[in-house]
Amino acid sequence: MTGAGTALAAVGAATTFLQTDGNGEGTESVTLLPEWIADVLGLGGDGGIAVGALIGAFAIASLMLIQAALAGPWLKRKIAAAFWGKLGPNRMGPGGILIIVADSIRMLSKELIVPEGADRPAWDLAPLIVAGPAMLGFAVIPFGEIGGVQIQLADPDIGLVLVFAIASVTSVGFVMGGYASSNKYSMLGSLRAVAQNVAYEIPLILAAGSVVIFAGSLQLSEIVAAQGETLVGPIPSWYALVNPFAFVLFLVANLAEVGRNPFDIPEAPTEIVAGYQTEYSSVYFVLIYLGEFLHIFLGGAIAAVVFLGGGAGPVLPGPIWILVKMWAFFVFTQWARQTFPRVRIDQLIEIGWKGLLVLAFANLILTAVLVGVLEGDVDVALAAVQVIGA
Amino acid sequence: MTGDRPNDADDGAARSTEDADVATDGGAEAAAAETEAIQTAGTSLEDLEAMLGDHVLDTEEHVNAPGVVIRPDEVQAVLSTLKEEAGFDHLSCVTAQEYGDRFESVYHLKKYADPTDEVSVVVPTSPEDPTSQSAAAVYETADWHEREAYDLVGIEYDDHPDLRRILLPETWQGHPLRENYDQDRPQIVTLRENANPLQKDHRGDPEDGDSDTMFLNIGPHHPATHGVLHLETVLDGEQVVDVESDIGYLHRCEEQMCQQGTYRHQIMPYPDRWDYISAGLLNEWAYARAAEDLADIDVPEYAQVIRTMSAELCRIASHMLAMGTFALDINGDFTATFMWAIRERERAQTVLEELTGQRMMFNYFRLGGVAWDLPEPREEFIETAREFLDGLPHATREFHDLLTRNELLQLRTIDTGVLEPETCKDYGCTGPVARASGIDYDLRRDDPYGYYDELEWDVITEDGCDNYARLLVRMREVEESAHIIDQCVDLLEEWPEDDREIQSNVPRTLKPDRDKEIYRAVEGAKGELGIYIRADGTDTPGRFKIRSPCFSNLQSLPAMAEGEYIPDLVAALGSLDIVLGEVDR
Repeated sequence: MTGAGTALAAVGAATTFLQTDGNGEGTESVTLLPEWIADVLGLGGDGGIAVGALIGAFAIASLMLIQAALAGPWLKRKIAAAFWGKLGPNRMGPGGILIIVADSIRMLSKELIVPEGADRPAWDLAPLIVAGPAMLGFAVIPFGEIGGVQIQLADPDIGLVLVFAIASVTSVGFVMGGYASSNKYSMLGSLRAVAQNVAYEIPLILAAGSVVIFAGSLQLSEIVAAQGETLVGPIPSWYALVNPFAFVLFLVANLAEVGRNPFDIPEAPTEIVAGYQTEYSSVYFVLIYLGEFLHIFLGGAIAAVVFLGGGAGPVLPGPIWILVKMWAFFVFTQWARQTFPRVRIDQLIEIGWKGLLVLAFANLILTAVLVGVLEGDVDVALAAVQVIGA
Repeated sequence: MTGDRPNDADDGAARSTEDADVATDGGAEAAAAETEAIQTAGTSLEDLEAMLGDHVLDTEEHVNAPGVVIRPDEVQAVLSTLKEEAGFDHLSCVTAQEYGDRFESVYHLKKYADPTDEVSVVVPTSPEDPTSQSAAAVYETADWHEREAYDLVGIEYDDHPDLRRILLPETWQGHPLRENYDQDRPQIVTLRENANPLQKDHRGDPEDGDSDTMFLNIGPHHPATHGVLHLETVLDGEQVVDVESDIGYLHRCEEQMCQQGTYRHQIMPYPDRWDYISAGLLNEWAYARAAEDLADIDVPEYAQVIRTMSAELCRIASHMLAMGTFALDINGDFTATFMWAIRERERAQTVLEELTGQRMMFNYFRLGGVAWDLPEPREEFIETAREFLDGLPHATREFHDLLTRNELLQLRTIDTGVLEPETCKDYGCTGPVARASGIDYDLRRDDPYGYYDELEWDVITEDGCDNYARLLVRMREVEESAHIIDQCVDLLEEWPEDDREIQSNVPRTLKPDRDKEIYRAVEGAKGELGIYIRADGTDTPGRFKIRSPCFSNLQSLPAMAEGEYIPDLVAALGSLDIVLGEVDR
């Protein structure tokens, strides 16, 4: 995470440098969700905003939890069944959807077994730390506009940095849980989780960083707005299309970040049982499980915002589109899970440090050069070339 | 076909030259060189006496092997002479038993180049002090086999590297196969005395600088062990420093149950339960072949064709599961690859169900043939079988796409879990494991039985010696099996109606002569599945011993996994394709 922080600082510095170029067109003022709720409720002042934020957060959190519930017990099985040529859950309710209820009751009613020798406060806190940040990350995600209201809880200037920083806190939870479980498999899993997160967070952020150079802002709403123009003809200038290379890098690193095949090393069920979560049962397990799915959706949301134009899309309103994109990412992770063998831990680290990191840096610097040349700022281009030379 | 020794020897001679060709093609130079050294197959008793000289105390004649009786302190000398000079490089099995006046260890030796050339080395020891020299210095595989003999019969082996119990717990009292063993005496062992796998933790002394390693129990309940296997692993970081298998959790006294049953009917259901993963008919054939040779029973050709066909269906089902579970180890649980493999296995089982009435526990073979003919209407069954065969190429293509051609899988499996041919032979590995190490050894061709030598098919070998090669061998063997089944189905379709004899005339009660001994093997799904039977003049066997291919194959795990990462240990274990029911018996 420190590595990630340094990289971010570098990107941030580059951005401020570019922004002095004066391309800061003033954003048209859109109402954020908390303000709008405060308005509707007729509450003014900071207190009103706080209430609005609370209600908005509640709504968005509920939506995300519903998504995770849909994805976890039900859609995941349906997708897997489709890959296997089977039906999947189909007995409980229409399309088997009530399996969600059955599953949650089943899991919550299990005994909460505390392993002997568990490091208590850490062991109890870990599931919260896994699930919490994944949820918190949605606070800055712009879900698109609907009727002049931007469905976003907060839009800080450093939104992109914030969302990555929050998302990476999850790995602290993995380490805590694994270390505190007093189980060697958990220990191995948590060590793997750290090694993996350190190796993949940097390429992930660098890939996103190249977008920041294009957009000239770390503010997520700005990044979305910058993708609003068209590239050629009807094709929008989504950064996935402008810089597909960065997008692919981002997707691969994101798979590792959310721990899905071929990078599901921290859990690796046939090797280290279930990794850091081996000893968790009942409600703690539900929290970790929930956290994982929220993390996948957060990963999808970041990909959508940074590379796929956020809520942009024809006909349907923004929030629907961004959900579609998040679900697309979820399906992608499931597809990878069904078909890819997992790599070995040393291979994973090698791919991360020797492959993705190098490519991500190359991409970042090339982007800087290109942007510099395109905007006619020779100094920037030269500075970038010098960096390459160095 | 059965028990006709002169013919077998002729076959062997013709075959050994063929072997040399195939082996050089396959690149296994060692095998070729050995074949050259042994020009004539079938080592006779005279040859043995000439070679061993004074070591030979007495001779015996087993059904398909000459036997020499030697002194218990000359085991290593005799076995190394046989290994170095006569080329008996395959210690197939070790059988221990108690007679009224002596204990006996029988070493069944074979040659990888020509398995029809067999020798039994009989080592009698006195009942007061049953101590004999260990063969582990000559053949690595003797290690486990002798531990089993020690565990069950109580023969002590001098010089053995690690003479501990293997199937029964350390705390077991007495040796159950001894005649004076009291079955009714309860085994009272307090919890404190019992080995507690959870207690052992950090092995190694920090002062010796060994504290960097971590001891890890993999199993008995672990997703990668494919049953109840316990691997005691010492790790350095993620790398395996030492691994030792602890088996016996699924020991069900299968051999002793067979000793309770009559030859004719009561034994046949048991083989289905050794390698219970749909390889049932292959196991049944192992017993059928041994018992038929023991009692001089002929099997009609028509029945041999049905046996060949159904056994190959079992092989497909078994290999499909092996590939599926291997994918499970590499890909993660319940992925498409695993489910697709299971789906193909189900299809094979459906054909078998049509034929035998069962999906797994078939009990279809009988001594002298099979239980019944193809189900009526025949056309329908033949149609079902053909449909399965027609679908198979598509399925194997899918597997090649998903597995063998997958770059990530190649990254994981190529050059990991390497088992060199020499090590492989030393451990007595057989079946796909040996063939993936370039050893051209397949009993279906080298020691022909059934209808195999009348059909067109190839023995698959790979030179990779790694996890990938083992996967590839299984994959290609499925295709070969399909080819065999295809020919059998054609034969069955055109077989004249008045010649469909499914069983020869077998006496109601079989009582082979007292002290007639036989060791016979077939090519099971996992390798050489051998049965040793000693008749005692009654209608039940005096001693029934199963030579399980998984038992020997599993023994080679440390050679494959030490120095590798945990994921590769798991992959190597998966590529061995063990079934604990057969390891522990």
